[in-house]
Amino acid sequence: MLVLEGVDVYYGNIKALHGLSIKVDEGEIVTLIGSNGAGKTTTLRTISGLMSPRAGRITFQGREIGGERAERIVAQGIAHSPEGRRIFTDLTVRENLDMGAYLIHDKSAAKERLERVYTLFPRLKERASQSGGTLSGGEQQMLAIGRAMMSRPKLLLLDEPSLGIAPILVQEIFREIEQIRREDGTTILLVEQNAHMALKLADRGYVIETGRIVHEDEAGALLDDPKVREAYLG
Amino acid sequence: MTLASFLPLAIELGPQGFWWMNVLFLVAIYSLLGLSLNLINGYARMFSLGHHGFWAMGAYGAAWFTIQFHGHMPGVPLFLMSCVFAMGVAAVGGLLIGLPCLRLRGDYLAIATLGFGEIVRIAIQNSPREALGGSLGLEVPRVIMDVTRKTKADFRVLMVAIGFVLVALTAWAIRNYIRSARGRAMLAVAQDETAAGLLGINPVRSKVLAFVAASAVAGLAGAVYAHYQGIITPLEFNFMEMVKIFLIVVLGGLGSISGCVFAAFLLIFVEQWLAKLPADAGFFKDWWQVEYAAILVLLMIFRPRGIFGPREITDVWRDLKAKWAKKRSAA
Repeated sequence: MLVLEGVDVYYGNIKALHGLSIKVDEGEIVTLIGSNGAGKTTTLRTISGLMSPRAGRITFQGREIGGERAERIVAQGIAHSPEGRRIFTDLTVRENLDMGAYLIHDKSAAKERLERVYTLFPRLKERASQSGGTLSGGEQQMLAIGRAMMSRPKLLLLDEPSLGIAPILVQEIFREIEQIRREDGTTILLVEQNAHMALKLADRGYVIETGRIVHEDEAGALLDDPKVREAYLG
Repeated sequence: MTLASFLPLAIELGPQGFWWMNVLFLVAIYSLLGLSLNLINGYARMFSLGHHGFWAMGAYGAAWFTIQFHGHMPGVPLFLMSCVFAMGVAAVGGLLIGLPCLRLRGDYLAIATLGFGEIVRIAIQNSPREALGGSLGLEVPRVIMDVTRKTKADFRVLMVAIGFVLVALTAWAIRNYIRSARGRAMLAVAQDETAAGLLGINPVRSKVLAFVAASAVAGLAGAVYAHYQGIITPLEFNFMEMVKIFLIVVLGGLGSISGCVFAAFLLIFVEQWLAKLPADAGFFKDWWQVEYAAILVLLMIFRPRGIFGPREITDVWRDLKAKWAKKRSAA
């Protein structure tokens, strides 16, 4: 479904991704684990069009998308729940979700999406008229994922959904991610520092270090791999 | 037939009434300018300092159009068409400056737009006498009413009415835009361009749209202003005017429609009142610019987010009523 081949990405003169190659098949949950600054977020930003690759190819459903602008890429079915959540704090929860359906012009379809997101995250329905800034960290994360789900994506990119959130809410969010894959048939690429949780949820995993993929395997195998255990699972 | 026949004839205003009509007209004009700048600097959170340029483009556009077609078509359509033409000129100006500049952020956008505003004024000032009047200005023929000694008052009343109808229409349009999907997209871009882009919103298009619409309204304000004044000179559209418009937006509260109109009234009234004091009024007269500044400083100390903050006057009124009801029930 999504293929990255030999992708190079730079911040100015600093090379952040070195010939990165990954692929995500339809219906999979794939996780990208690695430490701070390894290039996880950069990878997602490159896929969703916030950054352009200087070399390599990115194809989504057989179509080259590398270097296209973000608003074009989301229209093709890739939604990105970004690092730091980036919800609109001045808008209400409901308005945030409506923004997620910006490209859906059919009102009844948008309403259907809203109902779906409310079913996934009942807390968002309770807080619908509250402004986004008044939510707790976990609720904001739910809002960010819910907002991304409003566009009915085929591929959902999740950047650190567990970051800065109470452990009990992390459990809840991970259950909902699984539910999104099972019930909506959405393919998921998950970036996480919490490698243990991510690998338990995912089908396959990639380990990234300083902009290079150093390891890839079935998620279960990575969990048992002594090197991975030592480096990322403590 | 003139429009005068629709008005209560020969309204006796007296000097005091004349002064008030002038104040109210200026309030309407500055409200239009404030409301439109509020769209850029308030809702869309860009920082433009070139609004006086679009105002001047509208005023000169309308004046030029009126002079060209004066005598070739009836007055009322000419008035209306000159307003539309002025809006078009300002909107094109907004588009031309907006496309390259809106990729700039914060201070850079402010500097670029400030430069633009000054270029407009200086270009007009140095234009050939027969084209845009140069530094001497342009005389705008009266087209919607014959203004004689007898009908001078009626003309002012009419222009005040037109001014406030336009203010109401603009306020209504902005309110509806903010509540529409595109409007909310603009607010989203203002808060977080990256996040908005990820949702499929084109940030540049959203910003350019707000900028062009605001320029068009400033152009409309210019057109009405030119018809009211009868003569316009480039020096009227100087940077101090920009400061005034910006103050109105800040005082009214960034993103508050009624706050903007209220602030325009306050500012223009104080300014005109201080300016009207007789030359030998002593302290008050001599120091009026200082007093003007002092009032602004005090307001900013006590109401740093503007008179109403981001709220509307109706919200303030509702809160006050709730407070009174509470007090009464307590007593």
